Amino acid sequence: MSKFSYVLKNTLLNMRRTPLLVFATIIAVLVSSFLVFTTLSARSIVENNTIRWQNGVHVVVFLDDRVTTTAHKQLEESLESYPEVRTVDYFSKLEAEEEFKVLFKDQPELLAEVDYEILPSSLRINLNDPSDYTLIIERLDGNPAVKEIRSSGEAIERLLSLTDTLVISASAFALLIGFAAFILIINTLRIAAFSKKKEIRIMRLVGASSTYIRLPFIFEAVIESLIGTSIAVGFGWAVIEYSKNSVVAESIFDITISDDYLIFLTLSLLMFSLIFGLFASFVGIRKALND
Amino acid sequence: MIKLKNVSLVFQGGSVAISNLTTTVQEGEFVYLVGHSGSGKSSFLKLLYKEYIATKGEIEVANIDVSKLPKWKIPLLRRKIGIVTQEPQLLENRNTFENIAFALEVMGALPEEIEAKTNTLLDLVELNDSAYKYPGQLSGGQQTRVSIARALANNPVVLLCDEPTGNLDPDLSIQIVSLLEKINRAGTTVVMATHDSTIVNRRKKRVIELKDGKITRDEQDGSYIVR
Repeated sequence: MSKFSYVLKNTLLNMRRTPLLVFATIIAVLVSSFLVFTTLSARSIVENNTIRWQNGVHVVVFLDDRVTTTAHKQLEESLESYPEVRTVDYFSKLEAEEEFKVLFKDQPELLAEVDYEILPSSLRINLNDPSDYTLIIERLDGNPAVKEIRSSGEAIERLLSLTDTLVISASAFALLIGFAAFILIINTLRIAAFSKKKEIRIMRLVGASSTYIRLPFIFEAVIESLIGTSIAVGFGWAVIEYSKNSVVAESIFDITISDDYLIFLTLSLLMFSLIFGLFASFVGIRKALND
Repeated sequence: MIKLKNVSLVFQGGSVAISNLTTTVQEGEFVYLVGHSGSGKSSFLKLLYKEYIATKGEIEVANIDVSKLPKWKIPLLRRKIGIVTQEPQLLENRNTFENIAFALEVMGALPEEIEAKTNTLLDLVELNDSAYKYPGQLSGGQQTRVSIARALANNPVVLLCDEPTGNLDPDLSIQIVSLLEKINRAGTTVVMATHDSTIVNRRKKRVIELKDGKITRDEQDGSYIVR
């Protein structure tokens, strides 16, 4: 029997001796990894959705048609002079009409009934730093040429802040469950080592190396860790695929997340679970094997 | 084969197990280590396979400097030494064949090698008929023979036996010693700790007597002196 098959056989024997503990360990690793996978994926999805806002129009200033176009021009020039502003584009009433027609092309009844005269001209502002939208709102406050100012910045900032809170909470929770998994692995290994006490003593007497004695325990921890993480990642991918076609995806978010990011996340989690298993086995059997 | 020079072993708490002991065992010798319980026989043997670490002194076994051997190299030493303890320490869920094969298995031997070697060892200890019996189905003497066969699996140059006949009746004890003599004749150095006078006086061999961790007698054709 080769060394590897001996180690593998003994790993499986160890796992068969404590099936409930092994199951509990895998579940704990699974929940922990699933939380990490889904929250990091969710954060990436939110970021993808805000990128368009980050690169697009940050503030729209609807102009009052009752004031002169000279006043509109002056406003545009003063906006361009602000250091926070990258570009200002004038959007005429005609362009607003065209845009409206494009946006609502699927609703001919609406297009037929709208009085396009009410659509105001506007200035569309792109900022160097999107978070400066509040400064622009403050500066334009009370300007007679301005009819209304709109910015989605506040809503997006709230969304990002909420996502950050969710990521932190879920990470803390994942850490807690991960710690439980760590304790479970240590206990599983100690029980396995205790039940093999005599076997280990004989192995030592006949000259088996410490590494060789440890390998089945190391394999056990790594296998449990990898099984838990693999199932979690599998669930994670399934949830993302399902979400892409869900009502949420159609109404609020565009569930786009790059395959590259998902592969990176998957490999990182698997690598982490490998290291996690190795470390847990190191701690778990150090005392049990009386090294 | 075995050299000890000014070796001492003091346990935590200060009790002295071996005190400034110096001796040599030549290749191919058969040595009885005698003495009362607590005289240091087991400690002497455990120092040789580095189960205990000497507090001071130099130990050499099979050309390996045991006193300077790092912990991670202890398995290399034990592959050159066969160890038989008073309790046979057999695995209850394995039969005789598997118990002997276990020593080869954990060293990564190939299946065909394990099969051939184990059968040879079963022949040597005359347990062919009990190859598929479990420890619970074997007598004390048979269990000790399994333990000896397992100790010989990796072709050790030294066989250290710590009271292997301690739990056996006189007839079975003599059978075990005859087996050890047979192994010794094949070239293996044997050091056997015992306090069984019948065995020691049966055939004249070298006798090292220990008392309070010191050698009190070392005779080439010695006998067991009841004090």
